[in-house]
Amino acid sequence: MSLLDFFHWCEQTGIGDTIRRSSWLFPVIEAIHLLGLGVIGGAVLVVDLRLLGLGLRRQPAAQLARDAQPWLIGSLLLMMMTGGLLFLSESIKLYYHEAFWFKMTSLLLAIVFTFTIQRKVILAGETRLRPVWSKVVGLVSILLWSGVGIGGRWIGFS
Amino acid sequence: MQLRLLASLCCLVLAICYLATARTTAPAWGNAGRQIHVFSAVSLQTGASQGIGGSLLAFFSRLGDSSWSVGLHESRYAYDLIESVHVWTLTLFFGLAVMFDLRLLGWTMRTVPVSEVSRRLLPWTVVGFVVMVISGTLLFTAIPVRSYQNIFFRTKMIMLLLAGLNVWIFHSGVYRRVATWDVASVPPRAARVAGGLSLVLWVCIVLSGRMIAYNWFDCDRQPQRPIVNFLTSCVPGQSEEH
Repeated sequence: MSLLDFFHWCEQTGIGDTIRRSSWLFPVIEAIHLLGLGVIGGAVLVVDLRLLGLGLRRQPAAQLARDAQPWLIGSLLLMMMTGGLLFLSESIKLYYHEAFWFKMTSLLLAIVFTFTIQRKVILAGETRLRPVWSKVVGLVSILLWSGVGIGGRWIGFS
Repeated sequence: MQLRLLASLCCLVLAICYLATARTTAPAWGNAGRQIHVFSAVSLQTGASQGIGGSLLAFFSRLGDSSWSVGLHESRYAYDLIESVHVWTLTLFFGLAVMFDLRLLGWTMRTVPVSEVSRRLLPWTVVGFVVMVISGTLLFTAIPVRSYQNIFFRTKMIMLLLAGLNVWIFHSGVYRRVATWDVASVPPRAARVAGGLSLVLWVCIVLSGRMIAYNWFDCDRQPQRPIVNFLTSCVPGQSEEH
């Protein structure tokens, strides 16, 4: 089964069909998806601004990351659920849309980066790393997550 | 301080909208010989000449006819780019405002003093808000009449006012005594109410903002229920012609 076959199969699921037939389901799911984006933005920025030496500078980055984590993971799950539903309703269109692949690549990189490299750097603390590395990690994180958001917005433009 | 600025900005935008239109109480331009959008023309004939609503509509239809508006509306990339900026900045403004609200509710960063969160994060939300207002105004300028008569746009503007009011009440009330509850992991009731209200209002603002894109209740889609036409200041009849 090729990837395109899989996308065809997704498009034909009952869920995708129900969303396509409804005039309001897609907009409502998409609006919730957008809310998730906002909350992810907050959870990511609190930590990344700290790494850049901005924002909550007096708190250790590790503490902020711990505080923001439930909100990051929670909104990420919300986005994956709503995003999955949106995907089922228009899989074939997405298969041929370069913005979708750009978004998925950014998303994969952003998740891997956040939960591996960024976490290591945060846990290492300021004392054991040169400050420039914190800044680089904060900036890369912002760029990767921005790629996800902007890629997502450009799926809507055709 | 930043929060008060935010509230003032909210009011300022609405005041500018109102003042800009106050001078155009009597639309002197005729729509006969002018090349204007069909939809604008219909709205002008049906809705204009009645008080503030009419002058607003007249102002927005003139705005919609400007080359600036048509250019934004018809450009290949400008509109999409501005909308992308609007969405990206949403993460900055809404995301950080939500984090502050969650702190007020005692749901995150419970060991960080509230004044610290306020001092360090709210300036970023002010930057985000300014960009949101500028990009949002540009998006509105591109499609003014339709947006003005859009039920979700109107809902959004009213809730923006309420959110500004909530900010003002919070800042002139319980936040003045922040020194007494700064390090409390769960702030006092008044602060939690302000945080909760703010959260609900901003969520509704984002939701209704997203819904502006859909034309279910648009004036040129008749028949609508009378209540919908009332809420959108739409006078049906002539709108059905096209």
